[in-house]
Amino acid sequence: MRSRRRNTNLSLIKVEYALEAIKQGSAVVGLTTKTHAVLVALKRNAEELGSYQKKIIKVDEHLGIALAGLAPDARVLSNYLREQALNQKMVFNRPLSTEKASILLADKAQKNTQSYGGRPYGVGLLIIGYDETGAHLFEFQPSGSSLEYVGAAIGARSQAGRTYLERTFEEYANATKEELIVHGLNALRDTLAQDKELTKLNTSIAVVGKDTEFTLYDDDDVQQWLDRLDSVANNRRGAAAGNDDDDDEDENNDEGDEKKDDAAASAEEEGVKDEDKMETDE
Amino acid sequence: MVRVNKPYHVSLAEFLLQMLQVLGVGVHDDGERGRTSVGTGYDLSNSVFSPDGRNFQVEYAAKAVENGSTSLAIKTPTGVVFAVEKIITSKLLVPNKNNRIQTIGRSIGAVYSGLLPDGRHLVSRARDEFNSYRGQYKEDITVPYLIDRLGNYVQAYTCYNSVRPFGITSIIGGVDGEGSHLYMLEPSGVYWGYKGAAAGKGRQSAKNELEKLKYDELTSKDAIKEAARIIYLAHEDNKDKDFEIEISWVDTVETKGLHQFVPEDLLAEAKAYAQDKLNEDEDEDEEDDEDEDMDN
Amino acid sequence: MDHDPFRWGRPNDATYGGYNTKIAHANPQAGNAAMPTMNTQQPIVTGTSVIAMKFKDGIVIAADNLGSYGALARFDDVERLFPVGENTVVGISGDISDLQYISRLLEDLEIDNNYDYDGHSLRAPHIHEYLQKVFYARRSKMDPLWNSTIVGGFDDEGKPFLKYVDLLGVKYSAPTLATGFGAYLASPILRKVIFEEKDVEKVDEETARNAIKECMKVLYYRDARSLDKYSMITITKEKGVVFEKNLRSENQSWRFAKDIKGYGTQKV
Repeated sequence: MRSRRRNTNLSLIKVEYALEAIKQGSAVVGLTTKTHAVLVALKRNAEELGSYQKKIIKVDEHLGIALAGLAPDARVLSNYLREQALNQKMVFNRPLSTEKASILLADKAQKNTQSYGGRPYGVGLLIIGYDETGAHLFEFQPSGSSLEYVGAAIGARSQAGRTYLERTFEEYANATKEELIVHGLNALRDTLAQDKELTKLNTSIAVVGKDTEFTLYDDDDVQQWLDRLDSVANNRRGAAAGNDDDDDEDENNDEGDEKKDDAAASAEEEGVKDEDKMETDE
Repeated sequence: MVRVNKPYHVSLAEFLLQMLQVLGVGVHDDGERGRTSVGTGYDLSNSVFSPDGRNFQVEYAAKAVENGSTSLAIKTPTGVVFAVEKIITSKLLVPNKNNRIQTIGRSIGAVYSGLLPDGRHLVSRARDEFNSYRGQYKEDITVPYLIDRLGNYVQAYTCYNSVRPFGITSIIGGVDGEGSHLYMLEPSGVYWGYKGAAAGKGRQSAKNELEKLKYDELTSKDAIKEAARIIYLAHEDNKDKDFEIEISWVDTVETKGLHQFVPEDLLAEAKAYAQDKLNEDEDEDEEDDEDEDMDN
Repeated sequence: MDHDPFRWGRPNDATYGGYNTKIAHANPQAGNAAMPTMNTQQPIVTGTSVIAMKFKDGIVIAADNLGSYGALARFDDVERLFPVGENTVVGISGDISDLQYISRLLEDLEIDNNYDYDGHSLRAPHIHEYLQKVFYARRSKMDPLWNSTIVGGFDDEGKPFLKYVDLLGVKYSAPTLATGFGAYLASPILRKVIFEEKDVEKVDEETARNAIKECMKVLYYRDARSLDKYSMITITKEKGVVFEKNLRSENQSWRFAKDIKGYGTQKV
C-alpha cells in the first residue's frame, strides 16, 4: 500500500526501526498495585556458555527500569536517570518522582526523532517506582512517548502478556506484593515460545513499594517465586499460538538479529494487537 | 539537489501510521487526493519547494494533526478555557493520568493535537522562552510576544534539511496585563488569534459550535460547560472509541490568574451538562440511532 | 597614608613591590589589568534580623521593612519574607540586591515545580536544601550571596520545620531561630518560650505570635538598623500561609533610653 496522503522525512523513518528493535528484545512485564510495583523479565543468553543479558536496572532506592531492545541504549538512559535521581537527591534532598523520571526520558528521546544526525533510542522501557504518591508504572518508547499504566508488557510476543494483564488487571489494586509477582510471572509465561519455560536462570524479578526498597531477584533468588506458579511452561500453547512452532535452540541476545521466524511471529502478534485494541476500545 | 529514495518512500507512510498509533492518535484514511508533485521526491525533504511552490513536509505535518484527538480552547473576557479529548488506547492505562494540557509560566496554558512528543517539545521551548524573558526583564512575557517567538521557532523547523516540522497544531492562551489572549499555531509556523479555536479530528464540528458562542457575554464557568459539550459533540466523529475529557482554565478572577485544571465539581457538572445536551440533540433528531453510553 | 580606597589594607608597594597579577592569574578576562577580580566584599543595602519560631501547629516568622544604606535608613518598604509554594516561607536578611536575586530563584523554582502534575509538592526541607546548595556554590566561587536566611514550613512528616542557612552555606535547625542582631537580642527571649524541641508542643499560635511581636519591639529598641514597621507570616496546616504586612510595634516605651549611657554627647 502506498499512501499519498502521509509521508515524512528521513529522521522519522529511523524511529520506525527503533520501534522494531523493541519487538526484537525479549519480553518484560510490569504491573502495579496502589502500594507496590513489579517488573518481571525474560533473559536471553547469546550462547550456551555466555551469561544472560541483564534486563532490569536499578536507578535508585525507589526507582528502576526494565528494557526490551538495545541494551546499550538502555544503559545510556539508565545512567541519565541515575544522574537525575542523584541530582534531585543532592539539590533538593528528595527522591526523583517516577512520573518526572519518565517525562525526562520521553523528552530526551523526542529530540532524536526530530533532527538529523544521531538516531532514536532502540529500546523500550518499563519504569517502576514508589514515591509519595504511591507506586507507578510507565511505558517509555523511543518515539518520545511515556504513559502511565496499571500493567504493561513490551518485547517479543508481548501481546500474549498484555492479554493476560487485560484479563486480570482489575484484581491488582488490592493484591499483595506476592500476588502481584505471581501475576507478573503468569503474564511473562504467556509470552514464552512453545518449547521454553521460565527458569531461575532466564527470569528476573524486581519489586519496589511501601517499605520495600527496589529489590532485584536473579538466579537462585528467583526459585522461590517460580515455586508459586502452577506451571512454568506456557499453558495456553497450542490454543492461540498453534502456528507458533519455532524451535530455535539458542535465542539471540538483545542486540543481535532476531531469527526470521521469531520476527514473523512478533509481526503477526502486532496484527493481533490491533484487533484486540478495537475490541477493547468499545 | 533533490534526494529521491524510493525504498524509503514506500515505508514512510506505514511508518507515520505506526507512529500515530504508538502515540495514541487515531488514524483513518480520508481518501487519496490528487497531487501532481507527490512521489516525485519534492515531498521527501524540508527546504525543498515543489515546482508548484509547495513545501510538502509541512503539509504532511498538518495532515498528522488532522487525525489527532480533538483539542479546543475558548476565550472569555476574563480568561481562557482549554479542553481535550483523550482517546483511551488501552484499558491498562491509568485513568485520569497522562495529562495533555500543560502550563507555561503561571498564567498561560497550552494544548495540542498531533504527535504528542512534539507538543512536549514545543511547550518545553515555550517555558525556556518564558524563563529567558523573565531573566532579562524581571517580568512575565506577554502572550502575544510569546506566541510570536514560538511561531518563529516552529517556522525554523520548516527551513532545514536536518530537521522535520512539528507534527502538531497547538492552541496557546492565557492572561497577562493586557487581558486574555488565545492563539493557534500551525506546523508551518503561522499563527492567528482566536476567540474559539479547535484542532484535531473533530475540529470541523467543533468550529461549527464555537462559531455559535457569544464571546462577549461568556463567563469562564460557562465556557467550561461549553467546552465539555463541544468535545463530546466532536467525539461523535470518533464514536467507537472510549475517551476521557481534560479541562483546564485560567481566569483573572476565578483562578486568580493562574492556569490550572478545573476543580472536580466543575468538571463533573460540565460533563453532566455535555451529556444532557448531547442526549437532547439526539432526541431532537428523532432518529433511532442506538444511544452510545459514554460516561467515564 | 595612601588614600586610594582600592589600596586600603594592602601591602605597601614601596616596601613589597607592585601586585603581580601574572602570578595570581586572578582575572583572565581583564588581561593585564592592574587589579584582580573583586567579588562582593561587603553588603551594600541591607536588611536586618529575621526571627522565627515553631509552635504546636506551625511556625511564625517576622522581618521588618527597612533597607539600610550603611547607617542611613534608606528604604522603609522592603519586603523580606517570601512565601514559596503552598506551605513554605523564606525570610532573608543581609544584602537587598542578593535578596532580590534569591527571591527570583525561588519564584523560578516554584514555577518549574508547578509544571509537574505528579502531586509532589515542594516543601520547606526541599527549598532549604536548594538554598543551601546555592549559597555553598557561590561561596565556593568566592562570590557569595551576602545573606542569612530562615526557611519555615512543614517537613515530610508534616511537623513544623524551621532551618537556617547563610552566605557560607552553614545550616542548622532549632525550634527558635534568628539571624543577625536578632541572634543576640531575640533568641534569649524566644528561648524563654521554647527552650528545646519538646517544648514546641506546649506552645500555641497565640503565644508564639506574641513572643515574636515582643521580640520585634525589643529589636526596634536596641538595633539601630531596624524599623518598627514589619511583616509577619504565620503558617498552619489549617489556614495555610497568613501574610500580615505593615504591622507596627505597639505600646512602645522609650523610658529605658534615659538610662543608656556611654555614647553621644552625654556625660557619663
